[in-house]
Amino acid sequence: MRMPSLSAKPKNERKDERDRNNNEPRKLHRNNNSRVREYPALQDHPLPNRRAAASTSKDAPTNIRDGAGGPDGSSDSPKSRGLRIFSHFGLPKTPGHQIKGDIHPAIVKLGLQFSEFKICGANARCIATLTAFKTVIQDYVTPPHNTLSRHLMTHLSPQITHLVTARPMSVTMGNAIRQLKLEISGSDIDLPEQDAKDALCHKIDEYIRDRIIIADEVIEDLAVKKIKDGDVVLTYARSSLVEKILLRAHSLDKRFSVIVIDSRPLLEGKTLLHSLASTVPPLPCTYALLPALPSLIIDADIVLLGAHSLHANGSVYSRAGTAMVAMLAKEHSVPVMLCCETYKFSDTVMLDGFGKNELAPTKFSPEVPKSNSNLEALNPLYDSTPASCITAVVTEVGLIPPTSISSIPLALGRTTL
Amino acid sequence: MTDLQIHESYQRLLKNENLSTPLAAILALTEMMKQSNAGTMFELLNELKGAAETLSKNSSNPIGLNAGCELFIEFITLFPHDAASFSELKTELIRQGQQYAEEALAYRTKIAELAFDFIKDDSILTHSYSRVVLQTLLMAHKRKRISVFVTEARPRGMGIKTAEMLTTAGIPCTVVLDSAVAYAIEKVDFVLMGSEAVVESGGLVNAVGSNQIAIIAKAANKPFYALAESYKFHRMFPLSQYDLPSHNPGVLSFPQALSARARPASSGLSSESSSGFSSNSSPIKISQEDIARNNPDVDYTRPDLISLVFSDVGSLTPEGVSQYLVGMFAG
Repeated sequence: MRMPSLSAKPKNERKDERDRNNNEPRKLHRNNNSRVREYPALQDHPLPNRRAAASTSKDAPTNIRDGAGGPDGSSDSPKSRGLRIFSHFGLPKTPGHQIKGDIHPAIVKLGLQFSEFKICGANARCIATLTAFKTVIQDYVTPPHNTLSRHLMTHLSPQITHLVTARPMSVTMGNAIRQLKLEISGSDIDLPEQDAKDALCHKIDEYIRDRIIIADEVIEDLAVKKIKDGDVVLTYARSSLVEKILLRAHSLDKRFSVIVIDSRPLLEGKTLLHSLASTVPPLPCTYALLPALPSLIIDADIVLLGAHSLHANGSVYSRAGTAMVAMLAKEHSVPVMLCCETYKFSDTVMLDGFGKNELAPTKFSPEVPKSNSNLEALNPLYDSTPASCITAVVTEVGLIPPTSISSIPLALGRTTL
Repeated sequence: MTDLQIHESYQRLLKNENLSTPLAAILALTEMMKQSNAGTMFELLNELKGAAETLSKNSSNPIGLNAGCELFIEFITLFPHDAASFSELKTELIRQGQQYAEEALAYRTKIAELAFDFIKDDSILTHSYSRVVLQTLLMAHKRKRISVFVTEARPRGMGIKTAEMLTTAGIPCTVVLDSAVAYAIEKVDFVLMGSEAVVESGGLVNAVGSNQIAIIAKAANKPFYALAESYKFHRMFPLSQYDLPSHNPGVLSFPQALSARARPASSGLSSESSSGFSSNSSPIKISQEDIARNNPDVDYTRPDLISLVFSDVGSLTPEGVSQYLVGMFAG
């Protein structure tokens, strides 16, 4: 093996070396063995190292030889370098991460529940967050020479950060927290502290009641009208709202059957299946995994989907796999109804599933054989469905086409979502 | 006012050629209000809702009617209630209802002027009989050189009426078979369609055949314009053709197959009748009335097939229709 003595080479040749590094695949094809050893091979060198190798060419010989060990020069066997794509989301967090600062125990508990996926789903997370914040607010004491309306927010910020480190914030949590901050900043300075805290907790209760609980009931009323006797309803994974709609339609003695499509790794559809099949009289259900969808979509009359959030351009951010169900339904002219409360609307525009997503933690990944540590499991939890695949969105203000969500604030008499 | 009376007044109003179904419904409700003995707003609204339901039940195609009734009831609910007494309020509401109906008659002219800007020396395809389309074409004829293809619109043949009226006015016009639209589409510059209702999704509910023409226009890349007065905008959201309130499950059923199979069973034969042609069947005759009865009256055109909706509130894209409706009804 010929080792290039880079330190001795004139400058322009070193530059060529770097250029040849970048064009490596072409070189590999032409000259097999010697070139592979000469230039840092892709699988041996994580990205930071290759940059290090190119920039600190004076120290190059040692780096190139055992570059796999990392910049600190440790000589481990080539260890996994993490995922190349989706690495901008950050790697999935391991539980038991450090607690920085003075975090309320309710928030610590919540963070742990989030990272363990014990509380899962946009609505559940939002309600749990707001309930925990009520405890935090009640336990809060305004320090002297400070007002509640100004200091409480700075007190809440590290709590929110702690939750975000456990699991990235959902749009529902974000909207709720924004509303809470608005209420806090608007709270009357002259009120005695306990009254102000009670007022805030009351506002939180109202928010949960109006925009989640009652909104769900209105959506159920609207959606069950679209389910007729003899229909076959298809749904994906487990949306709390779709579950409520199906149970309500069943209690109204409508005769329909349900196809539940599920996917790994979370297999949330099993919980939905259990709750639907436990009704009296039992609801006829079919359960299948996502690859079986093309055969089953032909029988479906209507598709009901839930969402994590709905964006300003009409695209839907929901559990990974939802986009496939919606697109296939569109191809077969099956109407797709998306059930979504208005508090899930986001001002942002989402064009694809790559800009914003979340990776499932490693405990959900399939077993990777130890011998092949070059294999990484990639488990994005969410995907983006384009607005063209959705027929109607059911919200508490009625059925609207997905492109019209910007008219909703007007309908609710607000200036913002 | 009893159910029969309101139904009669509605039918009487419909006889007026100029009034479309939503306007006739609004005027019928106004008349009902005149004769009502309600003492409070709540009672009045209940009576109105009951009357709207009666009218809807007695009509085979209640979509336009529903749109008009809902608009009127919404208007009454949102009207400021600061009159001195209830009877004054009622009088004011009745006056408003009648005034609205009068103003609404001018909507067709407004729409015609709006659509006029989109018409050059063109060939236009239209479907069946629509008063707003007629008014637009007559106005365009005064200043532009247009020619019109009208579909026959079976089984009622209303397209022939349109063609006769256009020819009388001097517009070059011809009747196209419903099945020849795909043949003729290349000769046409754009499609102009009236409407029974424009729905929340931005789609169009109109005489049966409109959906077909829209699909053909899309395939041939011709613009498809819908003309609709604002009182035809309805908050309904059909998910498919069969989700319309006028949908009758008996439509497009197979009457012959049922009766053929019933005969062997009733005669008590134990063997399975493999051939349905039993000896006691006379040759079946199908009449035009049978066909007309067994076929739908209206169909639903999806919003992605429609280019623009022209209305008295302006020209809207199908997506914009929902924004307008949400602003009107949910605010």
